[in-house]
Amino acid sequence: MEYRDYYKILGVERTATADDIKKSYRRLARKYHPDVSKEKDAEARFKEVQEAYEVLKDPEKRAAYDQLGSNWKSGEQFRPPPDWASGFEFRGGPRQRRASSGEEVFEDEQFSDFFSSLFGGGGAGGAGPFAGAGARRSRAGRDHHARIEIDLDEAFGGTTRTLELKRPQLKDDGTLELKPHTVKVTIPSGVTEGQLIRLAGQGEPGPNGGRAGDLYLEVHIRPHRLFQLDGRDVTLTLPIAPWEAALGGPVKVPTLAGPVEMNIPAGAQSGQKLRLRGRGLPGQTPGDEYVLLKVVVPRANSPDARALYEEMRQKLAFDPRAELFG
Amino acid sequence: MNNATELHAHLLNEGDWIAATEVCQLCRIELTTVVELADLGIVTPRGYAPDDWQFPATELSRLRTAGRLMRDLGLNVSGAALAVELLEAQHHLERRLRRLERLVHEEGAQGLSQ
Repeated sequence: MEYRDYYKILGVERTATADDIKKSYRRLARKYHPDVSKEKDAEARFKEVQEAYEVLKDPEKRAAYDQLGSNWKSGEQFRPPPDWASGFEFRGGPRQRRASSGEEVFEDEQFSDFFSSLFGGGGAGGAGPFAGAGARRSRAGRDHHARIEIDLDEAFGGTTRTLELKRPQLKDDGTLELKPHTVKVTIPSGVTEGQLIRLAGQGEPGPNGGRAGDLYLEVHIRPHRLFQLDGRDVTLTLPIAPWEAALGGPVKVPTLAGPVEMNIPAGAQSGQKLRLRGRGLPGQTPGDEYVLLKVVVPRANSPDARALYEEMRQKLAFDPRAELFG
Repeated sequence: MNNATELHAHLLNEGDWIAATEVCQLCRIELTTVVELADLGIVTPRGYAPDDWQFPATELSRLRTAGRLMRDLGLNVSGAALAVELLEAQHHLERRLRRLERLVHEEGAQGLSQ
């Protein structure tokens, strides 16, 4: 595993005071927080900052970390010395489990192997090389949260995702190891932006026989080439010809379920919205598809086209600016 | 992937109501904070006493964001509530902007192609 320079990550000197560390954390957390940041790689940077702060804000963890010395460089191959933290008493980090599936899924507060190797993952009553002496009683495991990105078409029709989760397991020597575990999740159709999916029993294992927590996937839907999503409704911009707008008639319209025929009312205008009821995302109250009409005017780039426009100019008493001048 | 465990996913949708205790666990916030957020109009529970409150699943996302902002950025309840509302307004405006940009882009492309 690679060494992590927590001081460098927080941008402080090794001699920084607790107040300096807190200030720096607040500044960087504000900059990279995934809910507010527009920075590239904000999620990854925020996790690094959180991990660094988790160690440096805690005097015991910081002292133990400092004991490793200052000669290590970020990214350097690292293995903790067997007795590196002897004499220290602290609990491991509050995070015990990781979820990953390429770049799609991440879990809240996922810390690095470097952190886990130094500080374990023992929560209350948990185990691990640095776990506190919590009472060994049965309790329910905590819930875990991950984020998943899907396409709008997948949200409409449902999809499956194979996730690789890592679960902490207690080894015979009392230390924790992260064991990979593959699950295939069927995501039902009709999921919307920000919606939660519950996977019962896939959270933190319950210590001492307690009930396992649940895994919650927070769904995010990628922007679509044609449709804009708003709740369960979708909006599509539909180009139409001037004669289709003027005369009305049937046109083929894309929907999430495939093309349908829709009747354009005679005298339609650009910017007018038509509704295809129930053609949005499915649900107890299915969403609608809004079709935003956009009249596209062909160019007069041939003698015939010019003749047609000239004829219209002469025969149609039409002044689009009549209202501007009373 | 042959040995992957198949899981049944339960979608928390608008028909689901979540009990206050479960909401607190899910969003990792105290009930008193949830009460304050309800007072500020961020969530609209049903029921009489906070212990018996239930929340529409569609509001979980707001509560989770508020909880994250409070934990990670040290915001107080009012600050988190304000941030949640501003973030939602920002996302709404960004969606509108993208829609308008797309229209402008298409009109521009159409003008160039003719």
